[in-house]
Amino acid sequence: MIWDGSFRKKIIKYVNSDTEPFLREGEIIRAEGLTKCFGDFVAVDHISFSVKKGEIFGFLGANGAGKTTAMKMLCGLSKPTEGRAEVAGYDLKWEVRKIKRSIGYMSQKFSLYEDLKVWENIRLFGGIYGLSDKEIQIKTDSLLERLGLEQQRNMFVRSLPLGWKQKLAFSVAIFHEPQIVFLDEPTGGVDPATRRGFWEMIYDAAEWGLTVFVTTHYMDEAEYCDRVSIMVDGRIEALDAPSALKSKYNAANMDQVFHTLARKAKRDE
Amino acid sequence: MPVVMIVLFGFALSTELKNVKVGVYTPTDDIFTRKLIDRIGESEYFTIVFDAPDKEALDAAFLNNTIEVGMIFQDNFYSTISHDGRASVQILLDGTNMNIAQMAQFYLRNIIGTSVQELAQEVVMADPELSLNLPVEIKPTTSMLYNPQMKSSFNFVPGVMGMILTLVCSMMTSVSIVREKERGTMEVLLVSPVKPFLVILAKTIPYFVISALNLATTILLAIYLLQVPVSGSMLWVVMISLLYIMVSLSLGILVSTLVSTQQEAILISAMVFLMPTLLLSGMLFPIESMPVILQYVSYIIPARWYIDAMKALMIQGVSVKYCIDLVAILFAFLVAITSLSVYKYKDRL
Repeated sequence: MIWDGSFRKKIIKYVNSDTEPFLREGEIIRAEGLTKCFGDFVAVDHISFSVKKGEIFGFLGANGAGKTTAMKMLCGLSKPTEGRAEVAGYDLKWEVRKIKRSIGYMSQKFSLYEDLKVWENIRLFGGIYGLSDKEIQIKTDSLLERLGLEQQRNMFVRSLPLGWKQKLAFSVAIFHEPQIVFLDEPTGGVDPATRRGFWEMIYDAAEWGLTVFVTTHYMDEAEYCDRVSIMVDGRIEALDAPSALKSKYNAANMDQVFHTLARKAKRDE
Repeated sequence: MPVVMIVLFGFALSTELKNVKVGVYTPTDDIFTRKLIDRIGESEYFTIVFDAPDKEALDAAFLNNTIEVGMIFQDNFYSTISHDGRASVQILLDGTNMNIAQMAQFYLRNIIGTSVQELAQEVVMADPELSLNLPVEIKPTTSMLYNPQMKSSFNFVPGVMGMILTLVCSMMTSVSIVREKERGTMEVLLVSPVKPFLVILAKTIPYFVISALNLATTILLAIYLLQVPVSGSMLWVVMISLLYIMVSLSLGILVSTLVSTQQEAILISAMVFLMPTLLLSGMLFPIESMPVILQYVSYIIPARWYIDAMKALMIQGVSVKYCIDLVAILFAFLVAITSLSVYKYKDRL
């Protein structure tokens, strides 16, 4: 190896990484070279990006592009093979527990307990996040009022329509007032009108300063985001505001942008 | 699966006797008794493993389970037989396993009956000086230890306890955890700041309680309905059962970390836990008559050790020090399975 000073630079970079904050001003998530391998298969391939505080960040990609895996790493559900990331000011490697306390999560599958009543679900998840009984009671009342679900308080979640279930699941995910909420394809299987209603809730929450990290494959939803990233074969192929992406790829809508990029995919679904 | 079943039932599992461990006590040693004992040892059904110096040693061997059948020859066996033409031998049988006991008795009587005349002639031919009035007769008397009325419930109660606990703990725990995985609620729980280990622990506590209630019901029914006496220490019966419940729960958790659907969980629990527990734990088929390979397989079935311990404590009524090795083995199972599932759990994350 020829000595060209690159080694010294690496050391300086390493030392500085401890003194300089990893997150830049206004950022709440930052990932550098984040990678996840399952054996030989590289599901997520050295992705680097950052999310600003209060932003609605869309995470797009075809099935199998690696978006769910990437999101799971950021939530602390899956350990990165390589790379570094900070979420809400905590290191993903060392401070997973602190991260978990400051994030909310709504999974792809509708994930409340169907055989518990509406208020019991809220009570359960409030308790899991360490809220006191009194807090839970007050917040449950205001939440149900806001959702217009006071009448359904004692109903089993099983018997609610899917659109309502999703709204409830979202409300439960942000019940403990996290800094960031991760939504993994939150609106699967409902009609466009219900989807719009759901996104209104997301906007409301973002106005309060909540950062929303959302994966989706509905391209009309991508238009709602402040910025979107598009993943193809485990890499981020594009990352910008929807309007900027559209002009860059000379497309009329996000659907065209997505297809231009997704055509490059070599990986099977 | 059908192949395994056919082979298992056809060849491996039989209620026939093979190599039953026999201990003998001969107060007066002589050539005739020796020959008779050799005859018994030569048969494929029995193996002579212990030649007791006195009756107490024979009893102790029984308690340790080093022997399953004991034979006590009469004092001056040979001289009695040569004078009176008849002598007696006492056969001690272990009533905790009725199948073995009854068959062992049948075969022993058979061997004694068929070989006694031959032997007598041989002895006379070899040493014409000896006087022996032919024909001679040997009168075996049998006594059943631990289960004098020969009730079959004594045999199956420990087995049923092992089976119920395996079923409830392993199957229900694994299914309930996998169900949360299937529905996606597990993910939500894992994203929360609650430690994953606590989530699993919380899931198992209800099943621990249910199993403890099951245990209580089974023991009470056994005592009051089937009148099976708990001759040993009740405290230890309960303690070891609780230990076994924990082993089964940890097995259930291990399964739940390996599979992702409820069907798989049920299938694995049924095939990997229930069937071996039924077939290989010694509950229905004597382990000693199985081929060596299956005997080794039975070593890795926790139910086998638990059922052994229950038989020893409940029916034989021995003190716990005689089955402390069984307790140690169960404990080792618990540690091994728990660490394996913790390892698997982290691996998945």
